[in-house]
Amino acid sequence: MTTIRAEWTKLRTVRSTWWTVLASVVLMAAAAGQLAIYVANGNTNDDPSDDAGVVPVGTVLVDSLELVQYAVLALGLLMITSEFTTGTIRTTLQCTPSRGRLLLAKAAVTAAVTFGLGLLLGGAGALVASPVLGEWGAVPAAGTLRDVVALAAYLALIGVLALGLGAVLRSAVLTLTVLLAVLMIVPVSLREPDINALHRIADALPGEAGKHLLAGDGQPYPPVVALLLLAGWAAVALLAGRAALHRRDA
Amino acid sequence: MITLRALTKRFGETTAVDELTVDIGPGRVTGFLGPNGAGKSTTMRLILGLDRPTAGQALIGGRPYRELRRPLHEIGALLDARALHPARSGRAHLFAMAASNGIPKRRVDEVLATVGLDDRAAAKPARALSLGMGQRLGIAGALLGDPPVLMFDEPVNGLDPDGVRWIRQLSRSLAAEGRTVLISSHLMSEMQQTADWLVVLGQGRLIADAPTAQVITGSGLAVRVRSPRPAGLAALADRLTAAGAVVESGETDELTVTGSTVERIGELAYELGVPLHELAAQEASLERAFMALTADHVEYPAGAGGAA
Repeated sequence: MTTIRAEWTKLRTVRSTWWTVLASVVLMAAAAGQLAIYVANGNTNDDPSDDAGVVPVGTVLVDSLELVQYAVLALGLLMITSEFTTGTIRTTLQCTPSRGRLLLAKAAVTAAVTFGLGLLLGGAGALVASPVLGEWGAVPAAGTLRDVVALAAYLALIGVLALGLGAVLRSAVLTLTVLLAVLMIVPVSLREPDINALHRIADALPGEAGKHLLAGDGQPYPPVVALLLLAGWAAVALLAGRAALHRRDA
Repeated sequence: MITLRALTKRFGETTAVDELTVDIGPGRVTGFLGPNGAGKSTTMRLILGLDRPTAGQALIGGRPYRELRRPLHEIGALLDARALHPARSGRAHLFAMAASNGIPKRRVDEVLATVGLDDRAAAKPARALSLGMGQRLGIAGALLGDPPVLMFDEPVNGLDPDGVRWIRQLSRSLAAEGRTVLISSHLMSEMQQTADWLVVLGQGRLIADAPTAQVITGSGLAVRVRSPRPAGLAALADRLTAAGAVVESGETDELTVTGSTVERIGELAYELGVPLHELAAQEASLERAFMALTADHVEYPAGAGGAA
């Protein structure tokens, strides 16, 4: 608990944290607004082929996240990479020599903050998207709530994944590059040749598990499995990070 | 009490710390001395569990650092005053440290007052702090847990003369309270004034572990010799070196000799027929003793681990 309080103190006393939060909210509002405009335009223009009909607002939120998630990921990976760039990792390890306890505390703070931010983003996105959608938007209370909570859970888990990866790689740029590859590039490449086995592998990757969780489509596995897969990836990243912190000189 | 047992750290081919065995005892200021690259900082990082030793052990109060649960109550350390998040204020930095070890917030104000950082300075982002203020902040962090062991790596770096005097007084008073105080430096004059005890390191090995006064006088007083005849002076230097003394030549007409005596050099000069314009014992200095030590790589057997 003391370590968690220390990590929270460190996170909130750096202004860049609040800029990142603000940036992600602005980005979410902009993306949700834009996607809502597309839906409304598609339904009202002369071309019937792009009609989307009435769209649940949750779909707009989930689609917006494709971009917005990287601002939130930055929060998770900066929890650790900034310690290496500034050298404060040595003070941190002096205060908390147990690498496992330190990383768990960082994970708890990251997960709590990104989950809360996810709820905020969901709310902000819905607030912008629903009036723009107007008659073309549906805001079912239960469905929207489910989408927002799933979105927040997804952000919390990939935030922790980013933290663990950052502990291994130590560089923010490198970590973000690897995350981009794992979340987007690799699954797309795996699906390219349309081979069943490769589809299966792609489905197991965290980015795809996130998509299935957010879509809630139950294909190829139910959302609970998607959530567990994501949690598994986050746990593996944390364990790898702990091993790296333990073995390598700080 | 810091206990090092055959502590060894290798980075690839290079051995930074080589089977270092020494006890740093309480109640005195121990100067950790050695040229740059001798392994002082690496040893301190090993003590703090930041680097993993290749072999051997470093213990604080009998336990390895990584096993300490609230380490700030056991040992306080200042390693690198520049290792701060540039955007975080000094006070927030200390708040985070205090929180991690369950130290109440008011203790932060106490240590800030102790090191002489006022509210305005403590509220500044770290990037706006001078190196001297950074050092004071680092020492504030070391004092947070009121630990029985303190360790400062080159604490006088970047300090003005007032700051240097302050560090000296602080170290002395901490030691007088019965704490173990270890201070590394490459500034020998500073160590001579501050440290009661010296641990001298050369190329990762222990060269001396003895009271400061003994290290200074142990290698013999220095003697200054001047003569108008360079050839005669050279002959004198050869004889002295052969007899085991350390001879430095400064100006062409001048030698500085350690490991011999005024009497012995005078007799030798008479024997060789070298006219002398000056033959005088120099004031003993740590700097000279240190040069003699590292030149010979003599081990100091006396007093090792004693008087704790």
